[in-house]
Amino acid sequence: MPERITLEEWDLRYERLQRTGLSQPHYGGPLSRHIEDGDQRLLKLRYDNSAAALRLWNFLLTEEDRLRDARAKGKKLIGTMKDLGTVPVMAYSFDNVTAFYPDGAWWIPCVMELSAGLLSIADSLGIDESFCPVRAMLGAFLTEAHFPVPDMLICSVGATCDDFSAIAQRLNGLGYPILWWEIPHRRKPGPDEPVVSLPGGFTAPKCQVEFVKSELEHINTALEELAGAKLDEEKLSAGIKEANRVRRYLAELRELAFTAELCPLPALEMLIAEMLAIHFCSDRRETIGVLKELLDEVKARVRAGIGVLDAGAVKIFWVNPVADLYVMNMLEDCGGRICGTEYLFTHALDLIPEDLPALEALARMALADPMVGSSADRAERICTDIRRFGSEAVIISRIPGASHCALEGEVIGEIVQENFDIPVLEIEVPPVTDSMRPTVRTRLEALVETIKARRKR
Amino acid sequence: MIYAGIDAGSRTIKVVLIDAEDTRIIAKGLTDQGVEQDKLTLELFESVLKDSGINKKDVAAIVATGYGRNAVSIADTTITEITSHAVGVRRLVPDAMTVIDIGGQDSKLVRLDKGGRVRDFAMNDRCAAGTGRFLEVVAQRLGVGLESLGRMAAKSRSPAAISSMCVVFAETEITGLLASGTACEDIVAGVQAAIANRIIAMAGRNVDLPIIFTGGVAMIPGMDTALQTALGKDVTVSPDPQMTGALGAAILASNHITKTGT
Repeated sequence: MPERITLEEWDLRYERLQRTGLSQPHYGGPLSRHIEDGDQRLLKLRYDNSAAALRLWNFLLTEEDRLRDARAKGKKLIGTMKDLGTVPVMAYSFDNVTAFYPDGAWWIPCVMELSAGLLSIADSLGIDESFCPVRAMLGAFLTEAHFPVPDMLICSVGATCDDFSAIAQRLNGLGYPILWWEIPHRRKPGPDEPVVSLPGGFTAPKCQVEFVKSELEHINTALEELAGAKLDEEKLSAGIKEANRVRRYLAELRELAFTAELCPLPALEMLIAEMLAIHFCSDRRETIGVLKELLDEVKARVRAGIGVLDAGAVKIFWVNPVADLYVMNMLEDCGGRICGTEYLFTHALDLIPEDLPALEALARMALADPMVGSSADRAERICTDIRRFGSEAVIISRIPGASHCALEGEVIGEIVQENFDIPVLEIEVPPVTDSMRPTVRTRLEALVETIKARRKR
Repeated sequence: MIYAGIDAGSRTIKVVLIDAEDTRIIAKGLTDQGVEQDKLTLELFESVLKDSGINKKDVAAIVATGYGRNAVSIADTTITEITSHAVGVRRLVPDAMTVIDIGGQDSKLVRLDKGGRVRDFAMNDRCAAGTGRFLEVVAQRLGVGLESLGRMAAKSRSPAAISSMCVVFAETEITGLLASGTACEDIVAGVQAAIANRIIAMAGRNVDLPIIFTGGVAMIPGMDTALQTALGKDVTVSPDPQMTGALGAAILASNHITKTGT
């Protein structure tokens, strides 16, 4: 039966699965081995007990190995920063390029306690805790302990996170050259401007799409020079199709996980799975395999009418990713389940148009990024999904120091409440919540109590 | 049947016993919170029973609420203070639509529906700037008792502007204000306004009347006026404001028994 189990319980289950002929990829193995790498916080989490989830976690936690292997095999490493899903599609269209997100290093404190020391290094560089935990990236560059220094760094600026721009500029100042590209704030087309439809139901003036396309052309040229190969329309279109395979699996996974009567997959595994859309965890082909196995598991559970949580679990729509993964466990411990998410990269979940010239399609996708549009745009999309998934409440989590938009919570909350009579709760989730757990838990419990009382009306 | 509610707050522990027939409070007690939370709670509970001549066996169910609710071993179940305060306030003020609770460590604003159920709520973040702790800090810094704050604030002609969103930094501001000769009365009024403004920031635009003010800080004179000024709406201090959480928990204890049938 599906259930959420601890790491220690996973060790026992792993032995049992092995005895029954568990088939694993080369990066497989018991989860507890990652503790030896220093990922101490894994001890505090609860995991789905399926072999598919084991593969997902092992895939996530071995990204460093894959990057080192890629370097050893002579592949070019591209560090793509901030755009969350656009440049990796281009990079993976080459045979000899591996792209990854150094800013994904903000996850490191999430699993490694603060002992990794990355945040202290960022402190010493003047990027203190008033900045987003992405600052862990600076430490990771300096120690070179978590990923090899990439052959090229590409970073989007403009209508992106101010914190990240500051952090990336500091990195640049430390002697790591960055190829910058600009993403403008998405605006509504004027009355006389040609309108272009974007994924996610947004629109933008044609001139903005043309501008982003020209920026991507510069990146294309730089990638070609680095890879020593041309990235023609055919190759890029093939890359888009593969990226869309990932997105289709995720779309199906989300639909099933968020609408099934019994929650078929815990929030934590869903969060990790969704994250794969933006960076493929340094291996696009394996991402497809991991997601397919996870989807098969979820389908089987839904067919069998079994799940990991009680039938009465309160349906929560979650906005923004959390810095401490434990909070996703906590929500479920309090009686909630995730039915809808907006983790700031919904554009990486939407299908990239396949009937357009490839760079035009990518430019449209990049402009659909929730972070480059207004909070009201985000809220509208959230409302659409609340309706689709039947969410009973919304939680907007904030990370101290991370300000995607100073008023996003308030704007999203107001628009959601104008459309639905459901509670909206804002919570702050620091990278390590240990001392804050009673406080966060009280909010989550109170929200669940509120929804359960409303159901009795 | 008798039911008990225990509100294990950050500064004090409160116990209320009610008669299920009419949810009337038949006994209550309060003690300071400490390190040994469970022991302190048990001692208080037993002393309330003893003083009221009630046998422990006659208490059908106990619900714990408040920050330390999970440390109360005698509780049959726990319920958050958001729900408990809403139920407690509604018992005392049946038409209440908004509850503002300012405690020693946190503050919350709870919106109710017409049936008295929680519609929505907001709580302060980690910082103590919108809580009773802020008042304790200022009282300590000025060398006065908490009970004097209201009287002092009432004398203020020009409340000081406390710009800081953080108690620690605000203390530095207070030091600066004192050094520049600002009257203590103006500082107290400024701090009360700062707390009230933090609550307003949580409340947003829609706050329905009647607004009932509860929690330990509601007993500090002047805070209701500060809230009223900031909100531009009438704010009424709840009867027995320190006990509303425990009262709500006791009422919820009777529901718990009804529901579980145990």
